[in-house]
Amino acid sequence: MLFPTLEFGIFFLIVFTVSWALRFEPVSRKWFLVGASYLFYGWWDWRFTGLLFGTTLFNYLGGLALGRTERPGLRKLIVGVTVAVDLGVLAFFKYYGFFLTSLDGLLTTLGLHRDLPFLEIILPIGISFFTFQGISYVVDVYRGHIQAERSLLDVMLFKSFFPQLVAGPIVRAADFIPQLHQPARLTREHVAVGTVLILSGLAKKMVIANNLATELVDPVFFDPTAVGGLDLWLGIYGYAIQIYCDFSGYSDIAIGVAALLGYRFRANFDQPYRAASLQEFWRRWHISLSTWLRDYLYIPLGGNRHGEVQRYRNLFLTMFLGGLWHGAAWTFVFWGSFHGAMLGVERWAGRKLDEFAPARGDEAGIVSRFGNFAQHVVGVVWTFHLVCFAWIFFRADSFPTAWDYLKGLTDWSGAHEHVTPFLVGLVSLGLIFQFTPRDLGRELALGLRELPSPLLGLFLGFGILIIWAVAPEGVAPFIYFQF
Amino acid sequence: MLDLIERNIEAEGEVETVTVADLRAEAETRRNVGRFARAMWVAAGLLLLFNSGQLVTVVNGFGVGPVQDTAVALTATWNAQMEKTGLSRPVQTIREFVTRMRDASWADLKAAAAPDAPRQGASLRGPVEDGKG
Repeated sequence: MLFPTLEFGIFFLIVFTVSWALRFEPVSRKWFLVGASYLFYGWWDWRFTGLLFGTTLFNYLGGLALGRTERPGLRKLIVGVTVAVDLGVLAFFKYYGFFLTSLDGLLTTLGLHRDLPFLEIILPIGISFFTFQGISYVVDVYRGHIQAERSLLDVMLFKSFFPQLVAGPIVRAADFIPQLHQPARLTREHVAVGTVLILSGLAKKMVIANNLATELVDPVFFDPTAVGGLDLWLGIYGYAIQIYCDFSGYSDIAIGVAALLGYRFRANFDQPYRAASLQEFWRRWHISLSTWLRDYLYIPLGGNRHGEVQRYRNLFLTMFLGGLWHGAAWTFVFWGSFHGAMLGVERWAGRKLDEFAPARGDEAGIVSRFGNFAQHVVGVVWTFHLVCFAWIFFRADSFPTAWDYLKGLTDWSGAHEHVTPFLVGLVSLGLIFQFTPRDLGRELALGLRELPSPLLGLFLGFGILIIWAVAPEGVAPFIYFQF
Repeated sequence: MLDLIERNIEAEGEVETVTVADLRAEAETRRNVGRFARAMWVAAGLLLLFNSGQLVTVVNGFGVGPVQDTAVALTATWNAQMEKTGLSRPVQTIREFVTRMRDASWADLKAAAAPDAPRQGASLRGPVEDGKG
């Protein structure tokens, strides 16, 4: 069940009405929300609801076991086993075929060809997201950040809550479970924020991302040798905007839907293409994943505690594994490794440049201020192009396609049929929204807060109507569903 | 924007034990549930009136069966009524405008910007009436 469909509209109407009618019986309300979430998940393939429940039960039991013992060795063993099982399930469903294909290729190259046990494995939708949530729950209990949850129902709702189940944001137990212990409340702010986020998410996904995908990105990435260099340049800028609007659009709708059911998720995007460095980019892009990788991978690897060399190694490993998390393909591995390597280079270069920086007293001078502004602009442009370069490998189906794409960028001799006013306008619009004031959505929400229900309904109805009218026919799935 | 919700959760935690505050919070919840439920019905009504074509597309995707066939017949009749009354026209107009924008070339854009070349910019403004009445 996709968010921008009539099915989801009817589903949400029922869930909203019944869940709020059940607010005086919190346990029934939670059971209802769990049931709705499993129905939402089972809509794709009901067989995987068993997998979702099985991993949830295992994480719940792991948390309970951690809560009942004080012995450090045993606690370490419990958290180790639970995380290993979570990762094992993820590895089997997501990486088994990739591993065997890579091994088969290697053995064939070495002249040691063997018949390997290939299996037809269907990737359960959202497995990367709910696995990471399960790991964060057990590790947080182990670290003492949260108490082990005694209610299986609460852990089930935490892991399966439908707005974030299939494509994030990756919600932390410490953020969400305490909300389940409080009475459900719906304020004017919840309604206003939910309405604004749902409409902005739908507009991003259906108007910008879907138009860019069908008219520009899919054709130029299908065969980069068949289009001109200018098409390829616009194609990669278009993909940068498409993936942002697609994924942040999904996050907006998820956060908005959760708000209308009385829950709060953290923001997942913060105008990432206005970042003046890669480090800043990762503080603004897919925030729930980058903070997850920081807290559960980078810091356990040693973080920045053991000197510069270890720090660069940990940065690289974190991004390398972050790339692999996105998909079982070498192009994703390259994408993550490139980000990891460039984060290291950026840090090293930044430290070297700091040695030549003027003394602090000069900072207030107009020349210095202009220099800082120019440096910031150069940083934004440079970072955006580094990110775009890496997106080519993220989007291309193979290295040869990515290589053809890169080669084509320098050849401007062919026709450029995709560089139309409509597509240039869409890409420009997407880029402009990266630099608008951050409070724009907030101000709109404050404006909606006091609207009476008929006017709010008109705003919501006409908003959806215009988005439907402007969007291309059909509903394309969200990009992050495949991860 | 999300701080608007956060502030409320924090405030709620602080006054959780105050019964009057609980009652007020519950009254506010009741009002807002009703308010948003009404807003959703208004929005659904608007979509039924102005976007009936989309409803037909969705219903046509259902399988074959007596219930589905009835739903298809009902939505088709409803859509025909909306077309007759002209309520489905605004969405069609927007769609046609977006299609023209999508198909426009740089030459069309240039021609549309130049008032002395009316015919070349036609694709951005839609079909030109012959003016003969």
